[in-house]
This record gives sequence, C-alpha cells and structure tokens, in this order.
Amino acid sequence: MPMNDSSDSKTPSPVTQAAVTVALAVFLLGLVLSIVGNTGSGSSAVVRTIKSRLFAPWMVPPWLDLGFEYRLTHGSDEDGDFQIEVRRQRDAKTSPVRLPGRLTGERAARWRRLARSIAVEDADRDGLLAAAFGRGMFDEVGAEDVTVRVLRTPLVDRGGPPTAPVQASSARVRRVGGELQLIRAEPRGEVAPLVRPEASGNPSNGGTGNTAEATR
Amino acid sequence: MNAKSSAAARSMSGPSGTGSVAAVGDAWNRFWFSPADSRPLAIVRIAAAAIALALWWSYAADLQAWFGPTGILPADTVREWRSPYGFSLFDGAATPATLTVLFAATGIVFVLLLVGFATPVVAPLAAVLWASLLHRGPMLVGPADDCLSVLLWILAIGPAGEHFSLDRWFANRAGRPVPAAGWRASISQGLMQVYATAITVAALLAQLKGDAWWDGLAAWYLATGPRSGAAGLVPLLERSEYLTNLLTHGVTAFEIIVAIGLWCGPTQQLVARVGLVGWPLVGLLAGEPLWGLAMALFALPLAMRR
Repeated sequence: MPMNDSSDSKTPSPVTQAAVTVALAVFLLGLVLSIVGNTGSGSSAVVRTIKSRLFAPWMVPPWLDLGFEYRLTHGSDEDGDFQIEVRRQRDAKTSPVRLPGRLTGERAARWRRLARSIAVEDADRDGLLAAAFGRGMFDEVGAEDVTVRVLRTPLVDRGGPPTAPVQASSARVRRVGGELQLIRAEPRGEVAPLVRPEASGNPSNGGTGNTAEATR
Repeated sequence: MNAKSSAAARSMSGPSGTGSVAAVGDAWNRFWFSPADSRPLAIVRIAAAAIALALWWSYAADLQAWFGPTGILPADTVREWRSPYGFSLFDGAATPATLTVLFAATGIVFVLLLVGFATPVVAPLAAVLWASLLHRGPMLVGPADDCLSVLLWILAIGPAGEHFSLDRWFANRAGRPVPAAGWRASISQGLMQVYATAITVAALLAQLKGDAWWDGLAAWYLATGPRSGAAGLVPLLERSEYLTNLLTHGVTAFEIIVAIGLWCGPTQQLVARVGLVGWPLVGLLAGEPLWGLAMALFALPLAMRR
C-alpha cells in the first residue's frame, strides 16, 4: 500500500512546535491543579484561587477538571451501598418505591450515586436534590406529600454478620398551595438535647423553671 | 529537537546550563513530537467508542425519569448543583421529544466513532456531547465516565480515524495513500501516557488515606460490595486473612509499578502490558469494570509500541 509522507508527518514547523509546547505546558499545569484542587482533603487557598480563576473556566465545560480521587473503598460508612426509598407520607400499607431496587450494572450504579449524593452531599446544599427528587416522584407515588429516605447498607466486617440497612437521611417533601416544601428529619439528638426536668425545672434547685419547655 | 530550538536553548542557558537545558528540550520534543504510528490510536478509538456506547446505554431507560421536563433532576436544580462553568447542551432539551432526539444523536455519534466515519468531525463532537450529558447530571457520574471523557478529547486531538475505519476504506477506494506516522498521533499517545500516570497516582494517594489499604482489608470490602465482580472470591477471602491482605497490597503494588514503570524505558512496554490485564481485574474487583477497561486503554499505545 502506498504511504504518504506529506500530511502531518515528520516533525511540525518550529512555530507550530512552539505553540503546541506552550499549549501542552499550560494544559499539564491545569491537569496538576485539577488533581491537587479536587481532593477530598480540600485544597489550599492559593491552589483554589488559581484553579478557579484561571483554569476552571476552560477545564470544567469539557469535563476535564477532574481529581481522579478513586479511592475504591476506605471501609467507611460512606463506602456502603446506598438506596433511595420513597413512600407516601403516613402510608405504611403501600410498598415504597425503592431505587435501584433489583436493577443491576451501570444503570443501578447511577441510582446508587444519586442516593449517595442525597445522603452525603445534599446537606451542604439545603436539600436541593432531595426536594427535586421528591417532586419528581409525586406522579409515581400518586401523592404530593412524600418521604424520601436514603438507606445505607453498611459494609460487612470480615467474619462479621450481614448488616441491615440504616437510615442515612430522611426528608418530607410536599406541595402546599403550589409551593414545594422540604422538611428534613434531623437526628433527634441535634434538636432535642436531653434535659432532666427534676434537675433544671425546679426553681428551688436553681433552675429557671422553663428549660424543659424551651428545649422540647 | 531540531537545530534551531537546540541553538535557542543553548543561547538562553549560557555555557554552564547548556547541556541540561538542551537535554530537557530534546527529551520534551522527542516525547511529544516524534512521529508516531496512529494504529494504536485507532484501536483505542474502537474500544473507547464501545465503552461509550455501554455507558450511554446505561442512561437510556431512565432518561426521561432523570432529565425529562417532570423528571427528578430538573435542569434548574442541576445548574444550582454543578460548577458555575458547567455547560450542557441537554439543558436546552425542554420536551421529552427533544431530549430523546439529542440523546439518540449522541448514540449515533458514538456508533460513527466506532466505525470511524468522518472521524475528524465525529471525535470532537462525541467529546462535546459526552461532556454535555455528564454535566446534565453530575451526581450520576462515575469513574468510567470521567476516564471516557478524557479519552474522547485525546481522540479528538489525534488522527484516530486513519486506520481500521470507514474513512480509511473510502480513502483506499479513492486511491489516497496511507498517511505516514505523524506528530499529532504522538501528542495523543503522550497525553494517554501522562493521564495513565496522573490517574493512577491520584487514585493511589486517595486510597492510601484510608486504613483499609494499610491494614490489608480493602480487598474484602471491595469483594463484598454490591457491584463487585469478584463475589466468587468472598469464601476464599473469608477463610484466609493473608489472601485478603495479599490481594489488597497487590492492588497497591500494581498501581505503584504502573505509575513508575510507564516512564522507565526498559520496563515501559512490559508494565503497559501488565496494565492491560491488571486494570480490568482491579475494575472487576471494585465493581467498576468499565472504569478498569478505560484505564487499560490509556496503556494500550505503550503496550503496542514496537
């Protein structure tokens, strides 16, 4: 077969070579900053600033601003299996919708990632995902008042018994008068500190008499 | 390095630094600009397109449920969630029909990439459409999606359709000769080598932050995970703690060897070939088989180097 040695062959012209060298150098710097700036450990202010001002604007759109932090597992809670469960509010009779349920493969993996995002990352974003998810499930569940729960199946310790799923997050999503409301179910300990009325509620013990009511 | 740039390097560095600066320049130019055969890139194109189709298909059944007008991930919510620089063509798909058409177009572009039709146009288009799909739902994205995005951009740079393609078939019919080795193929393959190392090092560092990779139990947690393809190993791992430890440390050692060995001349090809087998196995163990395959593709050009 005849070979062509004219197009794109040999080395480029010096001008092209210089231009490509500069482009490569800038890109490789961007690659390093993407990795350093996207770690789970956080990044320094200087790296964050340089990356976000100079590199993120052109590395984010093509999906190249990546940290590649593929830890695979740390054996921690966050590495467990996540599932989403949606049910009508105050309806214990109807079976809840579970995702990914019995799905397998990459499709199921995407639902798991979504569930994990709702449980782990959504708290910093005012429940944005949980609210959107609940709203999107109104038709499926047949109600405009639903509970969105994320269940996490903890990793099994070596030689240990199988573990049951635990609740990683829960929120009630409802539409009232056309307005979407999200009511997060906070862990009890965070909203109701333990108060012993006999110790704090009795003025004779030095209490103010209204502590228990104020913290209920 | 050509004579001009060597001379420039010498004049900039002065007599004392002449040798080292010129050597660095030579090495840089040899690495990025030496003409390279584009056949390995063509094979990467075919395999990457196959992975792309598998990952694209995993969106198909839930497309409307996720991204449809009444879906659970509305475009405005996702815009608030993702980076302000994020951009997706899929944001504009306001009806189920337009969403379906855009998604189908993405699949067709991947098929065209697979068969190598109009590759210089199709390869960048595939990269743009894939990045758009990922930006439409960043919370659904996994490691295989990331690596595929990188591979698609690398294929867009290099002459990925010069071999094993419809483009080549049409060119043969028209009597156009097979292109000689070129520098764009060299840049693409150089970037693959850089990314193979960068991803491996980043993954390794992330892993070593956790105790499971030091106490040797990571392989157990991976094998018992819901997606692991190594569930058959669980009874063996349950019986032998040493085997669990060896498998865990084996993954770590493999990653260290890949990160270093890809840059040492004598070991380069051997390590790349080990990577072709090792990455899919790690992917299988971790329940990310497509990620393992994508990682193997980064090592393919080096494994094929003559």
